[in-house]
Amino acid sequence: METVFISKLKPFLEEISKKSDLYIPVKKAEHWTFNRYNPDEIDEVEFNSIRTCLPVKEFSFPPRELAAAFPEPLEAKQIKPFAVFGLKECDLHSIEILDKVFYEGEFQDPFYIARREKMFIISGDCTQAGQSCFCNLFGGKGFADLGFDLNVSKIKDGFIITEGSQKGKRFIGDNPDLFADAPDTLLAQRDENRARVKKELEEKNADLKFTSKISEIIQGSQDSDVFDIEAQNCIECQACTRVCPTCHCFYLYDTKKPDYFAKMKMWDSCMRMAYAGVAGGANPRKVLGDRIKHRLLHKFVYFLERYGIDMCVGCGRCVDADAGGIDIREVLKKLDEEKKQKKTNQAEIAK
Amino acid sequence: MKNNPYQPLNAEIVDIIDESALIKTFVVTPDETFRFRTGQFVELTLPGEGEAPFTPSSSPADTEKMEFTIMKAGSVTSLLHNCDKGQKVGIRGPFGNGYPLDDFAGKDVYIVGGGVGLAPIRSLFLSLLDRIKDFNSVVCRFGAKTPKDFIYKDSLFGPWQKLDGVDMKLTADEADSNWEYNVGLVTNILSEDDVDIKNAVVVVCGPPIMMKFVTFQLVEFGFPDSAIYLSMEKNMSCGIGKCGHCMIGKYYVCKDGPVFTYDQIKAYPNIWD
Repeated sequence: METVFISKLKPFLEEISKKSDLYIPVKKAEHWTFNRYNPDEIDEVEFNSIRTCLPVKEFSFPPRELAAAFPEPLEAKQIKPFAVFGLKECDLHSIEILDKVFYEGEFQDPFYIARREKMFIISGDCTQAGQSCFCNLFGGKGFADLGFDLNVSKIKDGFIITEGSQKGKRFIGDNPDLFADAPDTLLAQRDENRARVKKELEEKNADLKFTSKISEIIQGSQDSDVFDIEAQNCIECQACTRVCPTCHCFYLYDTKKPDYFAKMKMWDSCMRMAYAGVAGGANPRKVLGDRIKHRLLHKFVYFLERYGIDMCVGCGRCVDADAGGIDIREVLKKLDEEKKQKKTNQAEIAK
Repeated sequence: MKNNPYQPLNAEIVDIIDESALIKTFVVTPDETFRFRTGQFVELTLPGEGEAPFTPSSSPADTEKMEFTIMKAGSVTSLLHNCDKGQKVGIRGPFGNGYPLDDFAGKDVYIVGGGVGLAPIRSLFLSLLDRIKDFNSVVCRFGAKTPKDFIYKDSLFGPWQKLDGVDMKLTADEADSNWEYNVGLVTNILSEDDVDIKNAVVVVCGPPIMMKFVTFQLVEFGFPDSAIYLSMEKNMSCGIGKCGHCMIGKYYVCKDGPVFTYDQIKAYPNIWD
């Protein structure tokens, strides 16, 4: 993969924004959020240290969209190419997960795919481990090897840009004036930063070491009280599922527009009481603890069985957002502890 | 837009048949030929109002029109019950797997149904009749709360009682003096001798509580879990295994079901709720 050097972000991003809409991270209070890039409004683009507060799924899977119309079907909407700067490794990982769902086999989601294919991804190395980051539990390390068009690594006096796709390669090739060579000394700086963040992540989450695989922990703890105990703190705000970059439940509903009938597709949450209920009144998850359990089973057991990958990237957004103070890392620890305890008890009984 | 799985095909309600106080059969003609396998379901849209999943009760051999037997139970079904002939509707699908009729060949087909659960069973039954010689026998055990609650009364109490190769018993939980069939729950008319357990498949469709106790009784009789086919009613919405509402464990009922064998799903929590 080719690497090049830039000293400032703005000229690079300005070039990107000439050909497509561009979204960049902007700091608001202690969080990062995506804003539409307007070169007249800012002197220099900030490089986000960690992932944004809201998930990147919004770009390909918007919170609400028109999915069908009556009596005349929808015309295919033209999606303009757009670029997003500041995605982190965990974000790319979440895109990989959503791709599995929406590109799957027989029934693809044309709306997701239309946006996804127009998305130019400019990722960036993390420059620190965030408060709630635990991506290392899922193989994360703070920088991406795959899944981007271009990747940006911050170094002392500038940035290293790495190409990750034909589209990215072409952009570098088309704009020789923007880029300088990246000598080995600068690449060494990048690698040093990467090693530092990786170590920071590992140290931060040193206590997140389990004796069994997460899928086995959850699978084996279906009769645990932990879910009902956690439910006592849950205020059912559904924020965990909204900010989760991999949660993809949605709700189809019909509505009347002035001159046509519409079928809308809107984010939904499995934490909602009526989510799995049917008209006859049956509901397999009336109890909140059962909904919390189902969410974890889906993420770590069912999705893994179906797609061969966990449906969690360890971004910690749900930890930040949870008004009731439920921390998925702590829940996993408690369940693992219970499992260990159970094993010890069984061993003692066996003696 | 081509290949939009959320876009229904336009259709029209051309006839409405009263089945019982809360159940009507809607005869629907789609604008284009619509094919399905028995046991698959479709999402029926009342434009501007809502959408709900139903398994057609008609034979897949009829490609001109489809029938849906629908109980008034929630918001969409209540609105449908207020509709008249000529109402425009939309249909999406067909979705899911349906009944594996080829796997039933050479076997006793034991069908246990209750209430509005007879709707998918009617489609299955008509499909079985089309190739009745392929099956060792077709044994039906149907129940309803009262005689009035039976749907398809004209067929059930008439011609379906006299079909060659079909053994049919009916029961009502509570009956009046005119009732000439059995009285009691459907589990009361099941017998170990109804079919050859070693060479039979059972299809169960009805309210969740009935399916639960029928399944337990079948297991007690010695039917293998893999021979018990359950039509699961969950909150199927997108129909394409994405939106998540209908999950039973790792399965999407809309895509991997709605027909499951008991061994596929019995380990998962709250399957009967």
